[in-house]
Amino acid sequence: MKRSRKPAKKRAGSVAEPALAHEANHAFGDAQIERYRLANGLTLLLLHDASAPVVSYSTWYRVGSRHEKPGKTGLAHFFEHLMFNETEHLEAGEFDRKLEESGAESNAATWFDWTYYYEALPKQSLGLAVKLESDRMAHLVLRKPQVESEREVVSNERRFRVDDDVEGAANEELYKLAFTKHPYHWPTIGWMKDIEGYTPADCKAFYKTYYAPNNATVIVVGDFAKADVLAKVKRAYTPLAAAKIPTEETRREPMQKKERRLVLKKPTPTEKMLIGYRGPALGDADHVPLSLLSEILFAGRASRLYKKLVTELELVSDLRGWVSTFRDPGLFEMYFTMREGHTAAEVSSVLEVELARVRDELVSETELDRAKARQELATLQGLETASGKAEQIGFYETVLGDPAGVMRRLDALRSVTAEQIRASAKSALLRDSRTVVVVLPNAASKAS
Amino acid sequence: MLFALESRTLPIVSISMSTRSGSTHDPGDKEGLLRTSLRMLRRGAGKLTGPEIEETIDRLGAELSIDVGPSTMTIYAQVIARNVEPMCALMATLLSSPTVPPDELARLVRETHAEITESRDNDRSLAERAFRRVVFDGHPYGRSTRGAHATIDRIKRDDVLSALRTHLVKGNVAIAIAGDVTVDRARQLANTLVGALPEGERIHDATPEPQVQQGRHLVFVDKPERTQAQVLMGGLGTSAHDDDHTALAVGNAVFGGTFTARLMKEVRSKRGWSYGASSRLGVDRRRQSFAMWTFPKASDCAPCVGLELELLEKWVDGGVTARELSFMAKYLVRSYAFDVDTASKRAHQALDVEILGLPADYYSGYTKRIETTKLQDVNSAIKRRISTTDLVIAVVGTAKDTFDAVRDACGELASASVIAFDAD
Repeated sequence: MKRSRKPAKKRAGSVAEPALAHEANHAFGDAQIERYRLANGLTLLLLHDASAPVVSYSTWYRVGSRHEKPGKTGLAHFFEHLMFNETEHLEAGEFDRKLEESGAESNAATWFDWTYYYEALPKQSLGLAVKLESDRMAHLVLRKPQVESEREVVSNERRFRVDDDVEGAANEELYKLAFTKHPYHWPTIGWMKDIEGYTPADCKAFYKTYYAPNNATVIVVGDFAKADVLAKVKRAYTPLAAAKIPTEETRREPMQKKERRLVLKKPTPTEKMLIGYRGPALGDADHVPLSLLSEILFAGRASRLYKKLVTELELVSDLRGWVSTFRDPGLFEMYFTMREGHTAAEVSSVLEVELARVRDELVSETELDRAKARQELATLQGLETASGKAEQIGFYETVLGDPAGVMRRLDALRSVTAEQIRASAKSALLRDSRTVVVVLPNAASKAS
Repeated sequence: MLFALESRTLPIVSISMSTRSGSTHDPGDKEGLLRTSLRMLRRGAGKLTGPEIEETIDRLGAELSIDVGPSTMTIYAQVIARNVEPMCALMATLLSSPTVPPDELARLVRETHAEITESRDNDRSLAERAFRRVVFDGHPYGRSTRGAHATIDRIKRDDVLSALRTHLVKGNVAIAIAGDVTVDRARQLANTLVGALPEGERIHDATPEPQVQQGRHLVFVDKPERTQAQVLMGGLGTSAHDDDHTALAVGNAVFGGTFTARLMKEVRSKRGWSYGASSRLGVDRRRQSFAMWTFPKASDCAPCVGLELELLEKWVDGGVTARELSFMAKYLVRSYAFDVDTASKRAHQALDVEILGLPADYYSGYTKRIETTKLQDVNSAIKRRISTTDLVIAVVGTAKDTFDAVRDACGELASASVIAFDAD
């Protein structure tokens, strides 16, 4: 259904709803996040923080690459570029120019489950962000010149992040192989062939479908006057009409019953290996214990695998682990860079032993305490600035529907036990449901 | 010297200890010595082994890192506030009694060999290295702080002990502590850290001013299968003590400092040739580099280099306009709020001034200087400091596909060389 540009109509005979209703407060440490909703469905979250004379204004859309169709992959990310272009009220380049003139910084990010745009502004310029963001939510101009220009830029971004980057290319292959039905199969930046094929009509259809107030959350964090923000947001967004957001038709990923493997050759000095075990969704009970297990295995020089593979055996020069933070079940990613003269096979055999240990035995209390302390510090570091707080609030609101999710996660990790970690290891670290990508140095990859 | 700033917004504390000396003090045949020495601090101190130190850092909810630059070295820690005292006690042990175990030093050297090898995967870093080598040919700024395969093998335990004993002394350090700690408490913690150091004076920096490399030089780093090139172009830039330092910084911001700057507009917005296009001016104790950075696809590399040269010439010859200056001054003054929005950033500014010997009002007078910068000052500064003829162009790409066209796009060259990406 097409989205009307007219204001949403009130229901006949109903009691008039307040245009911007206060819905709830959410405890966020010692502070409170206030939740409001406009009649057209826009959610507004406010967190007052007067520690610096700045404001962070971010808009999270519940659209990411998971909402794309095969053949049109990368469109969600493509919007991350198009949205900085021309609108019906602003010439090309004016969006950035106005923000820079006010001293603001802006950017955007896209992933599987979401897209978000942010501005960090001196506090007196908050009104500009409200005006610009509400404008581009409904009035973007999508014609051939805009699409052509950004297509080249995005193709270059893909070359930078994927095609000429060993780890980027291997990571893309890992998800392509691990997910066969679910849209996590394709990369957020899109396949190059699809990027080359976007038309203005594709972009207009995507925009009309997903860019609407009822598919977005605005988060304001910083040194603002509440009444002023409420008035500005109400005035700017009330005229925007809600869209009918299509019911998502995401296909569940079938259970993986056999290990999948791929070998790539790249111009790189040493072997690399990526392993993806099946991981939980961010909201699953297993997510926090498995994240702590990842800390115990990979994080810091006191972690088990660092001590074994870097310090003791000197097989690898770098290693990392990460439990994906997606709305649907993702991967427990493991990444290894072998040292010259050593192979992925050598590392695999050591890894097998270490993973068997965490499936069979309890981790020690001291290891668990260290992992918790590391995660506590990392969480706090993410909340140092207004923009950091806004990002955490927007992320947890969009993925879990809980703007204070980062605080709840902090509480949850404090109570995780060694038994829970062993249980999560037992359910996740299954050889038959893992995917392995090995990168070998290309024999012909000497300089010409 | 202590800079302390209290902020109760989050229960974390940042601690930085910086030295007034850096990798320019590495002996020529032992590039990487100071970085290796600082990294050895966490590999054994007092009665603690390396693994015990690591476990303590993690248990305290802390991070400890080191950063070695040409003129300074910094030991940086961040810790959950409730553990700031044991973290400082640990740092004091590392500073007062490094044991530099021989087996750990040998292991670190092997790790560094692996890191140097791995750095070949990073095209940007390859371009940066090639660029600096030529811009600062024969000068310590052209060296690698990490060292090279040949030089790190020469580093012995006595070298490390001597380097630590020479550089980590009371007179050669300054400390910044910021976060959830009172100023009085911060002073006590700083005393603990400084008290752990031996007596010693500030180290004199005899690094000479870098000299301009005459003529245009193309250095092409040849790497197979590149669909894209990394291009760095520039030369010597500014010194914080130049009268025209602020004016040049403003001029650079107009040219390549923001999303609406000339480089971004012409290279990315109009032509889509590169995802990023920017220019920057480094700041150090001596004159640092000016560099433009783009990364076009291989087939656009030569035209992109040609366009960059054209834009550079236009900027140097024609300067910036009054409108551009007015716009940029507003941006720089108003966005300064984000340079000082945390206690840690404010403390580090003070530390920078002290350690790098920047003018005392370098940060505190920044917005005032921007507001009073005149168009003539900016354009004179660009003309005086930036050269279009004495220029280094460093490109990482696949030579058989790109080199000839790039060389032709560079105009008259004093030298053009191709080096293998794995030559180091």
